[in-house]
Amino acid sequence: MAQELNPLSALSDVLVARFAAARDSVAAVRLSQRAYLGAILWQHDVLVTSEQSLPERDALEALLPDGSAVAGKLAGRDPATNLALIRLDESVRAPTLSVSIAQIGTLVIAAGSDGSGRPSARLGMVNAVGPEWHSMRGGRIEARIQLDIRLAGSEEGGPAFDAAGGWLGMTTFGPRGQILVIPATTVERVAPALLAGGRVPRGWLGVALRPVAVPDELREAGAEAGLMVMSLSPEGPAAKAGLVAGDIILSVDGTPARRLRSVLAHLGSESVGKTLPLRLIRGGAIITVEATVTERPTT
Amino acid sequence: MTDSAVSPPARSLRVAIAASGGERIAALIDVLQSLGHEVITGDERPDVVLADRHPPEKGRYPTLVLGGTDADAEGLLPENAGAAEIDAALRAVAEGLIVRSSRARGPAFSAVQEAEARTLLTPREAQILDAIADGLTNKAIARRLGISLHTVKFHLESVFRKLEARTRTEAVAKALERRREDTINL
Repeated sequence: MAQELNPLSALSDVLVARFAAARDSVAAVRLSQRAYLGAILWQHDVLVTSEQSLPERDALEALLPDGSAVAGKLAGRDPATNLALIRLDESVRAPTLSVSIAQIGTLVIAAGSDGSGRPSARLGMVNAVGPEWHSMRGGRIEARIQLDIRLAGSEEGGPAFDAAGGWLGMTTFGPRGQILVIPATTVERVAPALLAGGRVPRGWLGVALRPVAVPDELREAGAEAGLMVMSLSPEGPAAKAGLVAGDIILSVDGTPARRLRSVLAHLGSESVGKTLPLRLIRGGAIITVEATVTERPTT
Repeated sequence: MTDSAVSPPARSLRVAIAASGGERIAALIDVLQSLGHEVITGDERPDVVLADRHPPEKGRYPTLVLGGTDADAEGLLPENAGAAEIDAALRAVAEGLIVRSSRARGPAFSAVQEAEARTLLTPREAQILDAIADGLTNKAIARRLGISLHTVKFHLESVFRKLEARTRTEAVAKALERRREDTINL
């Protein structure tokens, strides 16, 4: 039968083949009787999934691509990079993932789990790629990758692949329904530390802050904006340093407070134990206090 | 229409609290009592359980969870839910309904925002906005903050400009929204 293959069918066949090759690294985590979350079979006994959507519990159940259920335990979670790891109780067959770098226009097959925990797929494109960025929780992400697709709740946390089957990273929900990819390079950097320690240590001051405009008469050296202390964790480093609600932080170790990314950079894992001078406005005067950074508590 | 279709007077619920931390429990008790509900402890059978993000144990009673992502909970509200929301959710959950907040837009992993100095409020402007939210008139604001009416108006103009708001209500709403997105924990 000499039927000519049209290009659309050819594309479809390739997609089917690609997904078939990829599906062995797609898993699901059971969240409840009727809810699942996508996951990546990262190693033969380790799943990677989206931290922000994983309930806080230690014992978890995973569904493998073949439909079998395997018990597992939480091995670590890092809200800062939105990665959580689950160690499976038994070793399973896991394909090797080869890391690939996203570019604008890269065709993407995003895999996740459907409403009953079985693999699902979406086809899209890398919509935007930005440089390294910092999350609200203070984590460094190697690149900002945004997709042009929608995902169901159960599809978050799954792997995204390019047209050649290369692994781009883990899908997750960003602000305003955007679909972001946590790059595979970030996973490869963070996951080993998470597996070893159960967490990624991060510096902590124990203070909730809100950006405010600095009143004209108190602007020093062009500091137009500062961070006002809204609340303090009792016994936290900031509270111990004598900070009180209403103080306005102008700089952290010489870095202007309005440049939040740089401030966050002062609170990386190597900052624990360091003493940071904080310039702040209190009662109309500018003073300096010193706070000793401790490790951020896990919850 | 039968008599039973007429809405009954609001019933007082028996609520058990599942939270950790004395301060937090005291705050939840306050909220419940201000709503006219009965807080029960020990072996008594509650109509509904009000739990924190990390409830100490999974109960067999309908549970309203504040914060977190527990998909199994009958009720799920944001951590900072107001008293009216909590009341409505407790009653719905006690009646066997599933409750989710429309405010909770689901998880959103987002980037830290660099402050745009131009549109940030000064501490004084934030105080004035708080006073507006409390329903105070300009005169009352002046009295509360010990400043002239003229100064209040001056600050207000700046607040409206920075928030791109036309009415007092709009300003309060926009400031609230911003506050939710802006708070940074270091």
